Formats: sequence, C-alpha cells, structure tokens
Amino acid sequence: MRRSPARLVIALSVAAALAVFVVYTAVAGAGTPQIQPYDLARHHGHVLLVGKVVTSRGDAHSPEGLRFVLRNVTGHPAARARVVYHGSVPDPYKVGREVVVTGALSNGTFVADTGSLSTKCPSKYQPAKSTT
Amino acid sequence: MTLGLVAGAVLAVLAVLYVARPFLREPTPSSDVLDEPGELERRRLELVEERDRALLALKELEFDHRTGKITDGDYRAVVGPLRRRAAAALQALEPRAEARHERIPSSR
Amino acid sequence: MAGLGRAALLLSLGLVVYAVVAGSYAAWKRRRRLALSAQNALLASFGSTLVAALVLWSALARRDFSFVYVSEHINHSLPLGYALSAFWGGQEGSLLLWLLILSGYAALAVWLNRRTRDLIAWVVPVLAGVAVFFAFMLCFVSSPFKTAPAPADGAGMVPSLQNPYMLAHPPLLYLGYVGLTIPFAFAMGALLSRRTDERWIVATRRWTLAAWTFLGVGQLLGAHWAYVEIGWGGYYAWDPVENAALMPWLAATAFLHSVMIQEKRGMLKLWNMILVALAFCLSIFGTFLTRSGVINSIHSFSQSPLGGWFLGFIAFVTAFSVVLIYVRLPLLRTRTKLESLVSREAAFLYNNLLLVAFCLTILWGVVYPLLTEALRGETRSVSKPYYNFFLHSFGLPLLLVMGIGPLIAWRRASLRALGKMFLLPLAAAVVTGVALIALGLGSSTPGLLAYTFSAFVAVSIALEFWRGTRATGSLMRLVARNRRRYGGYLVHAAVLLFAIGVAGSSAYQTVRERGLRPGQSMAVAGYTLTYEQLQSRQESNALATRARIDVSRGGSHVTTLYPGKNSYPVAPGGPTTSNEVSIYHDPRNLGDVFLIADQIDKSGTLYLKALVKPLVNLIWAAGFLFVFGSLVAMWPDAVEQRRLAERYAAGAVAA
Repeated sequence: MRRSPARLVIALSVAAALAVFVVYTAVAGAGTPQIQPYDLARHHGHVLLVGKVVTSRGDAHSPEGLRFVLRNVTGHPAARARVVYHGSVPDPYKVGREVVVTGALSNGTFVADTGSLSTKCPSKYQPAKSTT
Repeated sequence: MTLGLVAGAVLAVLAVLYVARPFLREPTPSSDVLDEPGELERRRLELVEERDRALLALKELEFDHRTGKITDGDYRAVVGPLRRRAAAALQALEPRAEARHERIPSSR
Repeated sequence: MAGLGRAALLLSLGLVVYAVVAGSYAAWKRRRRLALSAQNALLASFGSTLVAALVLWSALARRDFSFVYVSEHINHSLPLGYALSAFWGGQEGSLLLWLLILSGYAALAVWLNRRTRDLIAWVVPVLAGVAVFFAFMLCFVSSPFKTAPAPADGAGMVPSLQNPYMLAHPPLLYLGYVGLTIPFAFAMGALLSRRTDERWIVATRRWTLAAWTFLGVGQLLGAHWAYVEIGWGGYYAWDPVENAALMPWLAATAFLHSVMIQEKRGMLKLWNMILVALAFCLSIFGTFLTRSGVINSIHSFSQSPLGGWFLGFIAFVTAFSVVLIYVRLPLLRTRTKLESLVSREAAFLYNNLLLVAFCLTILWGVVYPLLTEALRGETRSVSKPYYNFFLHSFGLPLLLVMGIGPLIAWRRASLRALGKMFLLPLAAAVVTGVALIALGLGSSTPGLLAYTFSAFVAVSIALEFWRGTRATGSLMRLVARNRRRYGGYLVHAAVLLFAIGVAGSSAYQTVRERGLRPGQSMAVAGYTLTYEQLQSRQESNALATRARIDVSRGGSHVTTLYPGKNSYPVAPGGPTTSNEVSIYHDPRNLGDVFLIADQIDKSGTLYLKALVKPLVNLIWAAGFLFVFGSLVAMWPDAVEQRRLAERYAAGAVAA
C-alpha cells in the first residue's frame, strides 16, 4: 500500500522551520534584556530600559540631548537611572509617564539609541477608583 | 431605581418563560428523545459526501482541462478512476434511497 | 438604571450557566425538551445582554457621570459619536462588547442551524460555556455598572482616540475575534456528538470567512489609525497587542484553506480540528494580552485583576480542546492520502505549514519576555529585527505559494503541465527582477524578492481569470459559478497589493530629518521641502500649531503641507500634546510624502522629519479589494444551497 507523503512533508517542513529558527537565534542572539533602573548597573551590554520619568531637561535635537532620570516602575523606589537621548520624542512623553528606551550604560549614564524612545499609551483601563 | 428594578423583574420573568417554553408547550409529549442520526443515516451522510466530493472533483477536473491546467494525458489518467468513484458512490446510495421511500409511508 | 444593567448581566450569567448545565445534560441523556430549553436560554441571554448594553449606551449618551465608567471615559464636550464609542474604550465596556457580540452570534448561529438537533445540542453548551466566563467577569470582577457620586464633568477621552478609525477598529476586531468562537463551538460540538460528517464545516464556513474578514479589516483600520494619528511614520510596530490580532488571523487563514481540502478530499480532519481550536485559543489569548498588561507593550494598560482569570480560562479551553480531540481521534482518521507532492492539495499543505510556522514564531516572540522571566529570572524581549526576519523567511515563500497553488491541478500535476502553466508567470517574475535591478532598486533583497514573487502571483491570478473567462464565455458567469474560487483569487490579489505596498513603503522608503528655521529647505527623494512659517489657531478643545511647508519637485510647486502639534489643556491624565502629521498622496507612485513636526521650539525652529513612502496607498486600497473578494466568496450560491439542503435533510426515520 502506498504511504502518503503528507507526513514526510510535515516532518521536513517542521524541521526546516526549526532550522530557520535556530539559525536566527544563533546569529542574532536570544533577545534583549528588559530591565528597570535598579538592575542597570549589572548589565553592560545593550538593554531595553523601562522606567518612569522623574525629571527631564534639555532638547533631544540639541548636541547635549534630552536628559532625564528614570525610576523603577515596580519595586526599589529609590533606584534611579540617568539617561541621555537624541531623536524623536513621542508626544505622550512627560514627567510621570512610563517610557521604554534601548541603549547601553556608559560611564554611569545610559546612552540611548537614537529614536528608540517610546511611551506607553495613556491608560484606557484605569483601575476602579470607586465601588457601589 | 424602582423603574430599573421593575424592568429587571419583567426581563427575568420573560426569560424564565422563554426558557420554560418547551415544557409549557408539551407538558406530556409522546416522545422526549433527542433525535440523532442512526447508523443508517450516518452511513448515508458519508456516502452523500463521498458522492458530492466525487462529482465536484469531476466538475473541477473538466474545468481544469478546459482551461489548460491539465494535459490530455493527465486528464485521461484521472477521469476514469474519478468517474468510477462517483458511480460507486451513486450506486451505494441507490438502495438507501429506495429503502427510505418505502419506509416513510409505512411509518405514518 | 445601573441597577437594571447589573440585573441584566446577572440574568445573562444565570441563563448561560443554565444553558451549559442543562444543555450538557440534555445532549448527554438525549432529552429533547431540555435541549430546546437550553437553546432558548442561550437565545434569551442575547436579549438580556442587549439590555445591559443599551443601559450603558444610554448612560454614555446622557453623560450620566454617576456611572464610574462614564465619568472615566467621556466628558460633556465630547461629540456624541465618540461618547458612544467610549463603550469599547475601557476594559469593562469592551468585555461587555465581547459578550454582546458573542451572545448575538451564538443566537443567530444556533437559530440558523436549529434543525440539526443532535449537533446543536452540544454546540449550545460550548457557546454558553464561553459566555459564562465573560458574564462572570462582568458580574463579579469588572463591572461597567459601578456607581459613585457624579462629578461635575468626566475625565474625557484621550485625543488620539478621537478619530473615525477608532470608531470602527475595535468593533470590527471584536466581530472577528468573537466570530472565531462559532466554528470552534461547532467543531467541538461535532466531536462531542461523535459526528464524522462535515455538517459542522458547512454550517460555519461563512461564519469563519466573515470573522476572518472582520479581523483583517479591523487590523487594517488599526494600522491606518496608527499611520495617520500616532504619527511615527509607520503602520505596524510588531507590538504585542498588534500581534495579538495577527496570530488568530494567520491561524484562521490556514484553517480557511485546509478546510477546503477536507471538503474536497476528505483529508486533514485532525489538522482542521487543531487549527480551529488554535484560532479560538489565540483569539482569547489576544484578549488576555490586551487586558492583563502582562507584556511590555505601548498599548498595555495598568496591571488588571483580569489577567489571572483569563489565563485560567485559556488553560481550561486548551485542555478541553486537546482532551476532546485526543479522545475522539478514531473519528478523525481518514483513508484518503496525499497522492502527489506536486498537487494543489500539497500547495495548500505548504501554505498551511508556512502560516502556522509564522503564527507560532510570532507567538514565541510575544511570550518570550514571560518565559525568560519565569525560567531565568531576567526578562528578555525581541523586537522588529526578529519579526522581520521571520516575515521574510515565511512570508516570502507564502507569497510564492499563493501564486503557485492556483496553477496546479488537484490530485497531481505533471511536469509538462506545470511547465506550460508556469511559463508566463515565471517570465514576468524574471523580467520584473531584472528591470528592478537595472533601475537601481536591487538594494533591498527582501524588497526585490517580494516584487519578483508579486509579479509571478499577479500574472498567475490574471491568467486564471483569463483562462476561466475563455472557458465559460463570460467573466460574470465564471465568477457566479465558482464564487469561492474566484472570490478567493480576488482576496489573493488584495494580499498581493498589500505585499507590494508593504515592500515599497518599507524597503524603498526615504527618511530625512533636519532642524529648519523659517525660509530654510531640505531635500528628500526628489522633493524640496521649504519651511515658510508657523501658524497657530485656537480650536474648540486644543491649540493647534502648524508649520506651513511648501512641497515642490523639479522647481514646480506640488502642494502645501501643515504638520504640527495640538495642545490639549484638558485631557485624561492632564494636559497633553499630540502629533498632527501632514500627508501628500502622490499619484505618480501611489505613495506618500509624510511630514512629522517632531519638535517646534519657542524660537520657531522646526525639527522636521520627512518620509517618502512609495506605494504605501496600495496597502489601504488592498482593504477594499479584500472585502470585495470575501463578499464574492461568501455570496450564497442557490445551486449549492439546494444540494446541501438535500444532503442534510433528515433522511432515514429516527431510530
């Protein structure tokens, strides 16, 4: 009885897909660490920094750049990270907003990748403020 | 608030009545068994689907041949078995169709 | 009135709980009246949910700020249309929308198929089971009917959501997400009722297509909103919440194709069950992602108490589906085999594998931060390069298969026939590739491949229509007699337009940024942009600042654009500023000149970001063709309807 080649096709295709996946992971690495200011000192490579804006000054389009300070979103309320950023600043950005930025720590200051700053959409889903 | 409660109560009553409707309409039915296809009906459905697949395949084969997607050689190789499949499915359904027509008058 | 809303939701919950319990018992013990009663309960739940929805809509229309939900999402000055759309602007309201659409769909699907009693007897408790979850959440975890002393005015709506696309994007997405519940319920119902025939597929074919179309259009509208409103110059950022809608759409696309194989060849029964369950689970997962705030996403919202509940429900649905499919495996075995690796069935199989592979790599990318945190204690995430890699790896072959599939016959195709069919499309592909390289557009390999494959697909679709018209004598007759096939080809053409638009606007776009003082110019992709002056005007709820930019090409004036900012003194979360982009649609290349006023200094210096995006408007045009093609594919065929009615008419006398 002739066996259906469907199973062979499926097995080979799954193997091919996994091979593509493994190649990518080997070449490009397994993701970017996503950290908050408290953990920044322990990371020396390229990271994704998440935090809440505490203070902000400067101009992102000037040579000195936009300089802001982030704190943890959760836990370790005293932790701070100084960030210098160049590029587009999203409109929702302001003190008190949660932001995400990629870059690396250099001499105690987080040097952000140009144009990598993004802010969370203002929350539509507020936690319930009052109950009946 | 009172209006809301009254409206809510009316809604609830209507809902309960609607849910209870099958029991209210037939308080003492002659049969309360849920129909499900018997072995015969399941086999009939299987055969009907097989027949429809075969006929559809023939129709598509003819169309693909007319549009040049299949060569004459491929067409000749495939059309024979397909026609035999369709014929077999039609033939398998025939006794069942006759039996069905015979049984229905006797069940009344 | 809030009391009526709460009562209506509690009634809905009671009705669907009854439908689950009574319906399951009735189906198991074959009790006809009880099964009908459960069915009526499911239908009645639509009525009570509708009452709850009307209560909320009425509160929004009346600006009744004693409803906490109303006070948190609108204010007095918000136009009525946007006030009503706030229904789905918040967590509680969007859950109510889910339940409303689910109960409406369930009522309609059950009513239309009420004659297949044994199947519907099991479909009812499955649908009701899903409804129980949402009704429970609305009654006890996240109620839209909480009240408090009414403030003088509400918080208002975030300005970026006050956009026509945001009126339509969430409801369309939900019509898609929720619509995938219907084929899932019918599939599980078929397994529970031990039916081996294809009644469940026939019953849900149009539902699946409709849900898939809504989901596709909903995503496209969301992308367009992001493009014109958020103003970063793009339309898709591989954000987890965006991916949340793409994943079930990909699974549903695979299902729509493989279900055709089951209908025509009786194959892939098990695969189809897995796909329909996967599509549904992913639609719930997508809802979970959006609600729980568990993944870092610019759309993600404050951590909400829903996350745990949703996760539990997803786990339950997944386990239920896996166990049921496993237990009913013997019913899903088929005798039919794949005859040849070069056949349309095989092309559909390759298409399925690519779609599912792409879907799963996106899923992996979305959950990667959660997994790394759980396993290594450190959160790692992937971003655009990861997704683009797999878009190219799986998307480009998919594009090619889209062109190859229609050219191959069912069952098997000889090399000679293939050679004959492939000749013209292959020639078109080669000519396109060579021309692009000669024009200096070979810099982007994925872009070049996309265009080459697109040429192949375009010619293959055109040839299908041409050959078919020649064979039947008229295009109308051709399409009328083969709606699913040719409607499908139209949808393929839409996907093709979309792919060309995406390739053009990403691989071949030009971006320039410069700080300009009034009178200064910058050049981008053959255009000269001259910053003339800054203008401000007071609008009803914002101060609008606009930079007047003269756009010229080759020394001739083309248009004037006004990118700028709106400053809203009153908005939820405090005063806010929004980007107002300005776009020129260039008919020469169906693209856009897209200007963003990145920053406007007090001194009047403008930091202008200019993007020239060739062919981007094909993406939006594709949406229209996509809907048209889907409608053609869905359009009822009287001959087929009669054939199906005869097939499923009660044949033998009941045992």
